[in-house]
Amino acid sequence: MVVQERVSPTPALVQRLRDRLRQAVGAANVRDDAGALVTYATDSTPLARGQPDLVVFPATTDEVASVLRLADEARMPVIPRGSGTNLSGGTVPTRGGIVLVLTRMNRLLEISEGDLVAVCEPGVRTIELAEAAAARGLLFPPDPGSHTTATLGGNVAECSGGLRALKYGVTRDYVLGVQAVLATGEVIRSGGRLVKDVAGYDLRRLLCGSEGTLAVMTELTLRLVPAPESSGTGMAYFADLADAARAVSRVLASGVLPVTLEFLDQVCIGSVEDYARIGLNTDAGALLIFGQDGDAHAIERDMRRMAEACAAEGATDIRIAGSDAEAAELLEARRAVLPSLSRLEPLTILEDATVPRSRIAEMVQHIQAVARRHGLKIGTFGHAGDGNLHPTVVLDPADQHAVNSAHEAFDEIFAKAIELNGSITGEHGVGIVKLPHLERQLGADHVALLRRIKAAFDPHGILNPDKLGS
Amino acid sequence: MTEIFTPELLDRCISCGFCLPACPTYGLTSVETSSPRGRINLMRAIQTGILSEDDPTVIEESSFCLGCRACEQVCPAGVQYGALLEEWRDRLWRGRRRPWRLKPLLWAVNRKSRVHVLGLARRHARTRRGSGESAHLMLGCFERALYPQVSRSASVLAPELSAPVAQGCCGALHAHNGELERGNELAAELGEALPGTIVTTAGGCAAHLAGVLGAARVRELSQWLAHRDGAGQPRAPREPRPRIGLQDSCHLRNGLGVFREPRELLAQVGEYVELPSASACCGAAGTYAILRPNDSARVLDGHLDEIADADLDVLAVVNPGCYRQLQQGVRRRRLRTRVMHLAEVLTSLGGA
Repeated sequence: MVVQERVSPTPALVQRLRDRLRQAVGAANVRDDAGALVTYATDSTPLARGQPDLVVFPATTDEVASVLRLADEARMPVIPRGSGTNLSGGTVPTRGGIVLVLTRMNRLLEISEGDLVAVCEPGVRTIELAEAAAARGLLFPPDPGSHTTATLGGNVAECSGGLRALKYGVTRDYVLGVQAVLATGEVIRSGGRLVKDVAGYDLRRLLCGSEGTLAVMTELTLRLVPAPESSGTGMAYFADLADAARAVSRVLASGVLPVTLEFLDQVCIGSVEDYARIGLNTDAGALLIFGQDGDAHAIERDMRRMAEACAAEGATDIRIAGSDAEAAELLEARRAVLPSLSRLEPLTILEDATVPRSRIAEMVQHIQAVARRHGLKIGTFGHAGDGNLHPTVVLDPADQHAVNSAHEAFDEIFAKAIELNGSITGEHGVGIVKLPHLERQLGADHVALLRRIKAAFDPHGILNPDKLGS
Repeated sequence: MTEIFTPELLDRCISCGFCLPACPTYGLTSVETSSPRGRINLMRAIQTGILSEDDPTVIEESSFCLGCRACEQVCPAGVQYGALLEEWRDRLWRGRRRPWRLKPLLWAVNRKSRVHVLGLARRHARTRRGSGESAHLMLGCFERALYPQVSRSASVLAPELSAPVAQGCCGALHAHNGELERGNELAAELGEALPGTIVTTAGGCAAHLAGVLGAARVRELSQWLAHRDGAGQPRAPREPRPRIGLQDSCHLRNGLGVFREPRELLAQVGEYVELPSASACCGAAGTYAILRPNDSARVLDGHLDEIADADLDVLAVVNPGCYRQLQQGVRRRRLRTRVMHLAEVLTSLGGA
């Protein structure tokens, strides 16, 4: 899809840099064997591939600083990376250089019940923090689909959303402080354990969603909230996705702020059932999963209201999960929709166009019309409650006509999202995949400002080139 | 270009990375190259010629992988990683790149007569070959030499099974170590020697046989005991109830989806304790413990910590490789836990 012309640094330069990096982080933590380079050439983004020169695994902030100083001096690109689950090509080394893998920095340093914060290194996986917090009766709400694999550093860098965003917000709403290393090697801190702190520009917020283009985060201070007493989850089947979308609007207008409001169309229901085998009705046109957490009384009331709203929009079948295990099974199945879709065809291309929640039905109908017009198989699922949709094309990569049609289809979907005051990306990031569309949404002046900010942080443009600010 | 891998198998992976946290070698290293997704990227690179088959990282990773197939359990895309690994080793370990330690092992089990010799000196189960039996106990190859008491116990638990001596190796050892074709032949030969249902005390053999002969013809012992007619009357457990843990067999769990049955059987004779890593590979991994003893011990370490913490009386195993691995590990650490095969646990504690 995106093949960048690569300006190769000379082998001698790479070798010299490799030797100096080995002194800085230890010989075993710098790889330049062809096999390692192949496996760090890609992330989870289909068709996006680069070719790194070196892969470096630092263990401390000081080591990260040393690596960046050496790289900056050599004008060598540095691509920070966690578990490599992002879907926009954000960690693809399009211009070669150093893939800086932060998975060794995986210490959960502190969970403070007093301050309601967690302090951790960027390589801690989302689920590890969530489980450690849960053990103390606390909740770390952001829960992207990849939470078992993805790292918190990656979550912050991409500003991940997840299934609870409607009620609890996204990763950015939980970042209180960061320690980061600038491209030139200086270490800064922004924010900390405080809820109120207005000293200086809000750089920690700027780093949220900066996709590794401004600095390398090496320590995160994250906000936790008391865990809700309990939760309830239900599901409603509809004849058509547009019905489900209208039910979403009705739920939100009924005075309920649900913790979960996810929908799947028929294509998605079929493939996820094929994987998870939890007894979903694969004949239904759409499935809406709804849930609430809080105290038992509020859950009971809200679940009833949501069920009523679904019934009013023609739900064909409504069920409430009988146990936590059943609810968890349903939500895990929902998380597995994207990979499950690959059971249909070898290639899945997904987007995450987002619209104001009141426009969801309109957007869904547009996607269906686009799929019909291009003769494409598009499965649509997403976080209906926050307007974040994941239309996913499944196709055979050998069918060039279908690949071209897919790109045209997404172009039309993006255009519609912007027309509806939405966004080309809700939570997957711009990366290399959506960079060509960014200016359409932001305008030229805005993009020029991004470039000036990028230049202020990273004068030689070594951090994740070809991405934001390029 | 000759294709090393079946393209449909290789195409399945969409690189979502859900497999990373399930992989023991990724757990040890946190390096993508040593993860299932990374290894599939290596396979793709040799398939397309980006990497040479002689690439040292390719050779290293094909052997560093335990082959436990834990990745398949968490793969929403349905990648058959175990099948890919068999194709990989079939290609890479042929001829000069075969690890030298493998040769005598594969040689010893390559003929029925040699397997017979393995068991000669040991008192494993044996019955005259009956004409009417529809179900047979498989004696295994190394198991009959190393742990003959397992088939004896199995015979006590399931006297309805015949255990003819004239049976060879199931071929799993070959299939997992670079001789896929011979591995399949041996399974077919065993299928002929033991017509009807084959009951085995080894999870790894069960999965391989099921792959070649079809799952309908194969039962692992716990499956057989749990589902045969007349099963299910709980015995009066001995008091105080011993604390019993289980080490799953990777291929039994990840390949055949069998994990409830051994737990239910153990819970009938003692206090069953689920170890946090019961379902994760113990590092035995077929020949892995012999080929890569250091890595194997690193994988085992966490399990031994858990066994010590749980203060188990008995750790049950359902595969001879795991038996050897855990028995040696428990001895090395001087733990008080006794490692026994499920069949032995049931006969010694269940009063059978």
